[in-house]
Amino acid sequence: MISESILQGERVRLRPPAETDLLAFVRWLNDPEVRYWLSMADGPDLTLESEREWFDEMRADPAQVVWSIETEEGKAIGNLGLHGIDEAHGRGTLGIFIGEKEHWGRGYGTEAIRQVLRYAFSELGLRRIALGTDEDNLRAIRCYEKCGFVREGLQRAFRLRGGEPVNAVVMGVLREEWEGTDRGGSDGR
Amino acid sequence: MGADAVLEAATVRLRPVKVSDLPLLVRWANDRDVRHWLHRSERPPSTLESERERLRDRTWAEWCIEAADGRAIGLVRLRGIEDSQGCAELAIVIGEKGCWGRGYGTDAIRLVLRHAFGELGLRRVWLITDADNLRGQRCFEKCGFVPEALLRGHRLRYGQPLDMIAMGVLRDDWAPLRSEGGD
Repeated sequence: MISESILQGERVRLRPPAETDLLAFVRWLNDPEVRYWLSMADGPDLTLESEREWFDEMRADPAQVVWSIETEEGKAIGNLGLHGIDEAHGRGTLGIFIGEKEHWGRGYGTEAIRQVLRYAFSELGLRRIALGTDEDNLRAIRCYEKCGFVREGLQRAFRLRGGEPVNAVVMGVLREEWEGTDRGGSDGR
Repeated sequence: MGADAVLEAATVRLRPVKVSDLPLLVRWANDRDVRHWLHRSERPPSTLESERERLRDRTWAEWCIEAADGRAIGLVRLRGIEDSQGCAELAIVIGEKGCWGRGYGTDAIRLVLRHAFGELGLRRVWLITDADNLRGQRCFEKCGFVPEALLRGHRLRYGQPLDMIAMGVLRDDWAPLRSEGGD
């Protein structure tokens, strides 16, 4: 699903992805250093056509919302999505990547996630956001911890990367935890 | 996807779900004691139509579990078989409450794991279960599953957040278990 909501942070802006972004998505996701950390690591290269198919499915699926992450200069640098949104149980899963490598390690992901958590908990009314990431993706894990995610376990040999099984760390953040931090904003009395 | 194979052991037989099973599926799905342990606890009651719709969802390979006397007693399912990661998610429900605690679930899961790790060539099968479903967890552990994560507040039961446990079994853990069992 395409959200009409634009989420504005201090240094990032999350906006609905457009068809004109697809070329950049293909370039990012075919970059070996980017896809190394993603579930498509061992899959075939993406094409504009395969990406267009993904885009159409995503738009038609009410259980997921995807945004493009832009810097303050208006340059698109990556994607962030909420997937598996289950309203009856109040939960969803978060997935993010920064495709422009020179923007890695500069806090864009952290800020983008904080914007989306606020949206998920206050606008969508979800209770829990979960994610999974490679056990050795320490930069990502640090970022998720900064955003309030807590480690909940380790799924053994969860995926293949370069043909080798990799463990996945499972992390989750609950609305009440998020509300109790300055990120939630509304405490203090 | 769909489940075409028939899997058989001494105590249970797994066969594809048939349209004529639908009334049974509705009865199981709407039994309060069965729903209690399922995500369905928060969803509207099932109807013939909603169960028919669910059967059309081909992302799951689904078998009907039959006891030795041929009576259908539950369902077992695998999801994600076709993805390139060699993993699938397992779900099971014994809808006939009189059959709870009698080892049917364990036998059905062992059959599915043999199929998953053998014919299907999967590396890993995982599942999630309510943290307070101790009978379920004992059964899964007997089949080789190991607890891997505590998913806090992963679902609601009657509107209240409920923790769930993620468990997984790898082909490499399972093969020695199987030879011990001597089947």
